[in-house]
Amino acid sequence: MDEALFLSGLLAAGIRLAAPIALAAIGETLSERAGVINVGIEGIMLVGAFVAVLFAVQSGNPWIGLACAVLAGVAMGALHAYFVVRLKVEQIVTGIAVLFLGLGLSGYGYRLTLGEAGTAVKVPGFRELDILGLADIPLVGPILFGQHALVYIAVAAALLMAYLFRATRLGVIIKAVGETPVAADAVGIDVDRVRFLCVMVAGGFAGAGGAYLSTAHLWGFVENMTAGRGFLAIACVVFARWNPMLAVLVALVFGIADAAQIRLQSIFPAVPYQFFVIVPYVVAIVSLAVGSRSSRMPAALGIPFARPR
Amino acid sequence: MTAGLRMPALAAVAFLVLMVVALILLAGADPASLAYGVVERALFTRAGLLEALLRTIPLTLMGLGIAIAFKARVFNIGMDGQLIAGSVLAVLAAPMLPSNVLGIVLFLALGFAGGAIWGGVAGVIKARFGGNEIIATIMLNYVAVQMLSWLVRGPLQEKMRIIPRSDAIDQALRLPVIFDGTRIHAGLIVAVLAVVVTALVLMRGRFGYRLAVVGSNEHAARYAGISPARMAAVVLVLSGALAGLAGAVEVAGLYGRLQEGFAPGFGIAAIAVALVARLNPLLVPVSAFGFSLLYAGLGALARNGVVPFPLINILEGTIILVFLAGSVALSRGSGRMKEAVADG
Repeated sequence: MDEALFLSGLLAAGIRLAAPIALAAIGETLSERAGVINVGIEGIMLVGAFVAVLFAVQSGNPWIGLACAVLAGVAMGALHAYFVVRLKVEQIVTGIAVLFLGLGLSGYGYRLTLGEAGTAVKVPGFRELDILGLADIPLVGPILFGQHALVYIAVAAALLMAYLFRATRLGVIIKAVGETPVAADAVGIDVDRVRFLCVMVAGGFAGAGGAYLSTAHLWGFVENMTAGRGFLAIACVVFARWNPMLAVLVALVFGIADAAQIRLQSIFPAVPYQFFVIVPYVVAIVSLAVGSRSSRMPAALGIPFARPR
Repeated sequence: MTAGLRMPALAAVAFLVLMVVALILLAGADPASLAYGVVERALFTRAGLLEALLRTIPLTLMGLGIAIAFKARVFNIGMDGQLIAGSVLAVLAAPMLPSNVLGIVLFLALGFAGGAIWGGVAGVIKARFGGNEIIATIMLNYVAVQMLSWLVRGPLQEKMRIIPRSDAIDQALRLPVIFDGTRIHAGLIVAVLAVVVTALVLMRGRFGYRLAVVGSNEHAARYAGISPARMAAVVLVLSGALAGLAGAVEVAGLYGRLQEGFAPGFGIAAIAVALVARLNPLLVPVSAFGFSLLYAGLGALARNGVVPFPLINILEGTIILVFLAGSVALSRGSGRMKEAVADG
């Protein structure tokens, strides 16, 4: 029974920790399917985390914080898209610039606003739900019914996106834009517009992931609080072979690894805690080695579209 | 093709400049006097100029590493971790080194090797398993930071066991000061040598040619009998080594011991340095000095509470984007890498 309780708690915590990675990964999946990689989502998540806290505090409502974080993410996505889709410059380098911008904007904004007041600001954050009062059911309750609203939203978004790619005309268009943009263009699809929109939506997802970190997982903003989760999200997309549902499952693996290392720290106090903190990163490094070879990325990923003459 | 992009590119530049100006105004500072203050403190005060010159040393070494990697389109963004790995290996082995010039050379060589190993891990993941080097190098950063945190609190902590830092290395292993009355150390010579060697290798040697081929067209590289995977591994080892060398130079030249966060944000800055230098090794030191002036000037103003310091990251991102947009606005026809292929 103790083991079952431990595993149940681990899984519930793993889901909580996976949610921000999953949200960002769902968005990045869409963007990469359309042919655009954004390595700056870590920076967009940071902006989302800061904006969510700022507007949650100002309005007293975490949902308004979340909405503003999504909008900020969309704006950052639009900046990335403007450069890589409109100006057609190098995607990786632009993404790196977006990362620096996000790092700077969130830290700068925080120090100008909430950081001035110190840590005493009370953040009206999200509470875990208790769906139908079932969260207290032993073992499965906290896992299935006691998560944050954003967790359910993330799962729904992943399902929706899987359906989008599998069964809708829009999904076919997005995939065509990422796989064979010349052919897509030939049948009258505006390749650049589809890409632009997908990158913006991806930014919104990253913003939501950041908001989750600062208003659901923790109630407050800390500079650089994403701690590599944006890059873990990119890793998720690759390991999941650009499948949104699988991306969420891979995110769950990282989340559980994170939840496990936190527990292991208290179980083995004699072992320096740093050896546990690195667990999710080591998991990512090992899975990079194990899971990369057979993956086939969207054919036009990273390549700006230019109409053949 | 690109002619039609000139106005949109200039619009992007205008937007970015306005954004930075607006952000500075938001902080209650005056953009013009801020810019003047940065230049004044960095260029026209002795302390500012010396601080900038000191920072130019590691940023040059690391910028060279980034230039090598990015030329091959291998995106090493884990220089912070490689820098730590290099300085850790050097400090670990320091007690065994002879107390003379040879010891200094070995100390730096160990830094070089440590960075090479850390970069090599990402290299193996990339070359052997096809794993993305961006993710690998970033993840290795976090591992290195945690390992350093453990070392300076555990096995490597000073004998007094008060502050999380190592004992000082042997004074004989320290890089000597080369200008009396300053802290400018012999690392400056190391950096100059590194610039010359890198420039020769990249511009004259076979290796530089192969690097350029891999970077411009992987298919062409394969036809020419060059393995892009192997090149990527070699490049990650080399750029990691330069970051590790920078770490050892910082320890031997400035701090004399290992501690946490002794090169804050250098890995990020090095990317901006190399990109602004257009990956040209001869321009890297110039660019590194420019960014160092910015750091020194802005750092002084931030300490006085004029603007929050993270403005530096905003500026780094903005400068890279302005350079990207600028290259679009100035190019005639086949400017950008992939577009040239798609256009042809």
